[in-house]
Amino acid sequence: QDSVERIVEDAAMDLSLNPFSSGTRLRDMIRAIRASKTAAEERAVVRRECAAIRAAISDNDQDYRHRNMAKLMFIHMLGYPTHFGQMECLKLIAASGFPEKRIGYLGLTLLLDERQEVLMLVTNSLKQDLNHSNQFIVGLALCALGNICSAEMARDLAPEVERLLQTRDPNTKKKAALCSIRIVRKVPDLAENFMGSAASLLKEKHHGVLISVVQLCTELCKASREALEYLRKHSVEGLVRILRDVSNSSYAPEYDIAGITDPFLHIRVLRLMRTLGQGDADCSEHVNDILAQVATKTESNKNAGNAILYECVETIMGIEATSGLRVLAINILGRFLSNRDNNIRYVALNMLMKAMAVDTLAVQRHRVTILECVKDADVSIRKRALELVYLLVNDTNVKPLTKELVDYLEVSDDDFKEDLTAKICSIVEKFSQDKLWYLDQMFKVLTLTGNFVKDDVWHALIVLISNAPELQGYSVRSLYKALQASGTQESLVRVAVWCIGEYGEMLVNNISMLDVEEPITVTESDAVDALELALKRYSVDFPGDVTKLSEDTSNCCAE
Amino acid sequence: PANRPVWLNAGKQIAHPTRSRPPSTDADPRRWHSRLSAILPSLATGCHPVRPRRQIRAATPTRPRSSSRASADLRGRRPSLAMINFVLLISRQGKVRLTKWYSPYTQKERTKVIRELSGLILTRGPKLCNFVEWRGYKVVYRRYASLYFCMCIDADDNELEVLEIIHHFVEILDRYFGSVCELDLIFNFHKAYYVLDEILISGELQESSKKNVARLIAAQDSLVEAAKEEAGSISNI
Repeated sequence: QDSVERIVEDAAMDLSLNPFSSGTRLRDMIRAIRASKTAAEERAVVRRECAAIRAAISDNDQDYRHRNMAKLMFIHMLGYPTHFGQMECLKLIAASGFPEKRIGYLGLTLLLDERQEVLMLVTNSLKQDLNHSNQFIVGLALCALGNICSAEMARDLAPEVERLLQTRDPNTKKKAALCSIRIVRKVPDLAENFMGSAASLLKEKHHGVLISVVQLCTELCKASREALEYLRKHSVEGLVRILRDVSNSSYAPEYDIAGITDPFLHIRVLRLMRTLGQGDADCSEHVNDILAQVATKTESNKNAGNAILYECVETIMGIEATSGLRVLAINILGRFLSNRDNNIRYVALNMLMKAMAVDTLAVQRHRVTILECVKDADVSIRKRALELVYLLVNDTNVKPLTKELVDYLEVSDDDFKEDLTAKICSIVEKFSQDKLWYLDQMFKVLTLTGNFVKDDVWHALIVLISNAPELQGYSVRSLYKALQASGTQESLVRVAVWCIGEYGEMLVNNISMLDVEEPITVTESDAVDALELALKRYSVDFPGDVTKLSEDTSNCCAE
Repeated sequence: PANRPVWLNAGKQIAHPTRSRPPSTDADPRRWHSRLSAILPSLATGCHPVRPRRQIRAATPTRPRSSSRASADLRGRRPSLAMINFVLLISRQGKVRLTKWYSPYTQKERTKVIRELSGLILTRGPKLCNFVEWRGYKVVYRRYASLYFCMCIDADDNELEVLEIIHHFVEILDRYFGSVCELDLIFNFHKAYYVLDEILISGELQESSKKNVARLIAAQDSLVEAAKEEAGSISNI
């Protein structure tokens, strides 16, 4: 078992035997840090290492630059400051050898971010490396630029990257395509520069190039109207061909995932088709058949297949699809919803929310399953399902749906109670024409989770009761009963106290009883006792003279 | 914006339905206020807000907070720069093994993000789905042995595909290191980064062929070996 002492001893011995020793190897530093038992020990190791690195940097020590850069990156990952090492990255990048550039570029993307001005100093090295004869060095530069460049650097180096899109090496091409994505995101004006190359690169056969270029096309469409129109005209047939070929392709071990050839390519093409077909009937028509093929042919027993089907359904719902295609899409959703895999159900709920805009009736058919999902063990699924249920509520189904939700309110997790309470109150308020039903639901919710009921909700309840004389007796009696059963929810107590205060006489004399009610016996002193108990319990929040209250209430009851 | 997916708009409406003011009538709220306020002076100044009583569980890691309560500072400010905003590898104990950021986050923000996500993800049970909603984004994660691989994406991205990307990364690492374990990623973290850089650029997938990625890394590793032999002086890292 390593201990910090032992490692330091080894290093000290090393040093005494060989005064020119470089100090610890990377592996030893990592071991020392892992062996630290306290934060203070770790800090001591890091401090010692940083000191050695600083010394090496100021001495311009060439020999151990790699090791020092690697150490710096590790120390940075632990959360310690490493600003002093930033210039080292630049020096390494400017060196001529591949190994130096490799670790220098990595250091650059890890130790710096695009907001730092030091980054601008790399522009020159980048420019040179983008023109290097060694394709791997070009690759390093493209990767760094693609990960970290600022808008200024994007503008400066865009011409180099454009040129590299035409190079012969597919690995360079794919990196150039992705780098172009970042450039276009940073400087959308440049989108038109790339659209010609992007469209022609769709004829490539190399999958890496294809997935990068298809993604670039999608990006271009988002950045520029002109690029969108251009690509609509020039790329749709090519895309259909790519998707058809990959969908029909026989087993290709290099790209196979769960029996499907290159799901990533499938998905990217589907996404681009969505962007191109949105709002464009012509384009949508062109892709209709291939979408149907992918929707029906793709196996859905593994995640890869489901990922493709998910994208396919999204595309069908995003473009001007035929009704036949839409039916296919909703069927896939139905299957997903009853899949035992949590991930698939989560995704299905997402898709169903979008489907609401397209075919509400079809989604309604899955109401029961969606309601089941509200009670799922997984909080992510519960949340999605609840939002969907809210969208599904209408005059016909509001009562059974609300009953289900209120029943669940009783047993749900505390974490979820707040969301659920808010939703139920929203629903009930929206459909509050049936006042008696509205009151019943609100009383139930107040009893179960009154603490989560927002102020304006129970204010609205009070207003409704005030405006509904025929229901005031029912309200005061129901609230009194609720208070007796469980007066733990503060909002319930407030509303009940108000109600008893206003309509106490109805409570005591069973005034305006509804058919559904049974008479209850409540004397004046019962009512006052109930109030006193409630007020005592919340005496902190209701400072007041209880004697005065009981007097007032007696008066009120006598009125 | 025109491209906003339908469900996101629907979601906004659900979370904050516009409340219409209750119709004013003869029995307006102020009347009952004044009556009750004679009895209960505290109410004369207006109701004070009902505070929901939240149970604080005994467990040390904080319970995941619902996204509606999370701070909004990161949400509005950050335009979507990549499909994958960042990659995070954390151990069961919350130690960071690898991070790569494709969207701008300051050092301070990064530490905060890591702390929040660790709390959110490490406490999730094994049977739950692989997606968490966090600050308006989605984080796709999967546990492999003692490591959690996490990738943060936008709300309207294909999370099932990102699961495949994570698996793609893991299989390539496995091939490269030969039955990769956490220790490999600790002591050779720089090599893990080299591998990641051949799979993702700017948060987008760059290569769907594992064979190709392996070939490219091997070629670059041999370049380094060759240079070492030639120079004889490049320090053994």
